[in-house]
Amino acid sequence: MNSRNSASGSSKDLGEVIVITSGKGGVGKTTTTASLGAALALRGKRVLVVDADIGLRNLDVILGLENRIVFNVVDVAKKICKPSQAIIKSKRSNNLYLLPASQTDDKDVIDEAEIRFVLEQFRREFHYILVDSPAGIEQGFRNACAGAESAIVVTTPEVSAIRDADRVVGLLSSKGIEARLIINRIDFDMVRRGDMLSVKDVQDILGVEILGVIERDEQIIVAANTGEPVVYNPKSKAGQAFTRIAGRVCGEQIAIPNFGGGSIWSRLTRRLGVAT
Amino acid sequence: MFNALRKRLFGESSESKSAAKSRLHFVLVQDRTGLTNDEMAGFREEMVKVIEKYFVIDKEGFDVKYHRIEDHTTLLINSPVIVRRAGSAASSASRQTAAPAPKAPSEQPEEAVASNV
Repeated sequence: MNSRNSASGSSKDLGEVIVITSGKGGVGKTTTTASLGAALALRGKRVLVVDADIGLRNLDVILGLENRIVFNVVDVAKKICKPSQAIIKSKRSNNLYLLPASQTDDKDVIDEAEIRFVLEQFRREFHYILVDSPAGIEQGFRNACAGAESAIVVTTPEVSAIRDADRVVGLLSSKGIEARLIINRIDFDMVRRGDMLSVKDVQDILGVEILGVIERDEQIIVAANTGEPVVYNPKSKAGQAFTRIAGRVCGEQIAIPNFGGGSIWSRLTRRLGVAT
Repeated sequence: MFNALRKRLFGESSESKSAAKSRLHFVLVQDRTGLTNDEMAGFREEMVKVIEKYFVIDKEGFDVKYHRIEDHTTLLINSPVIVRRAGSAASSASRQTAAPAPKAPSEQPEEAVASNV
């Protein structure tokens, strides 16, 4: 499954392309792309994050790089500039680069073959290429999936987000792309009260491997305000979660912390072998 | 009992997640199969009829589930068989019944895994 985990030893020395998608908008795709990219870079991996949301670019803002953009992904696709001219190094890391979306073009201005061409230009230079997909399942989504070897589907523990995630997982598998799941914005107090679906509930419903679980965390908003990915804040629970996810992406066996396991009472009774 | 105690101890409320679960189950079955609710009911009814042609079954226990396994959705039909119907064309030797005892000790449910959708 994770054949090229130890990037240095990879047979072809080509980076792994992972699409970050969700179906539903506003569940945290862009934040996930930026945070996971930064976390992988902190591990010493060379990472390119690609904003495939043409016309509605945002990844530049989340990374605090909005005032450095000259060229974009469409310029590379149309050979208006050299690939190296379009990527922007992040402020905090020499390993993390952004390929921004075009803000003025329409989603249909490039096709899947052109996206594949763009990705090929960078696969030798980077260990990981994370493609931030637009919401929806139309051309923009299909473009973002072109050239991806695997997918990370982001969802929140809500009916609408899970429904869309299920649809996207189905579409990805029909393209032969394996999906792993990130459950974002979970609130374990609500899970304990029975007012939010648990990690296990979501996994049972979707039947997809869980790559990570991210608690609702105010620091995500703070990070977006300042343009500094949350993984640079060691106190942030979300930041810690993204750091663990980066480890799993690199093939490390890191258990999902068992905070979704129910109340103290149910954990105690389970330990005592009493069914509740 | 434990649930009641737990509620008292921890002040648990409505458990709205069970509503979320059942609503999700409903929409996902529709999404995955592309069938409407009426079509689903029709499918279920016809399945029961077909199986009843060959077996006496426990209709209460009849259940259709949709699971995503790897890259396809699998239809899991669970139909508790009470006894083989007498004179049915179904082959295989085993127990030759004369269809009496309406309450033949109902064996454990037979799980039939059918077609990928």
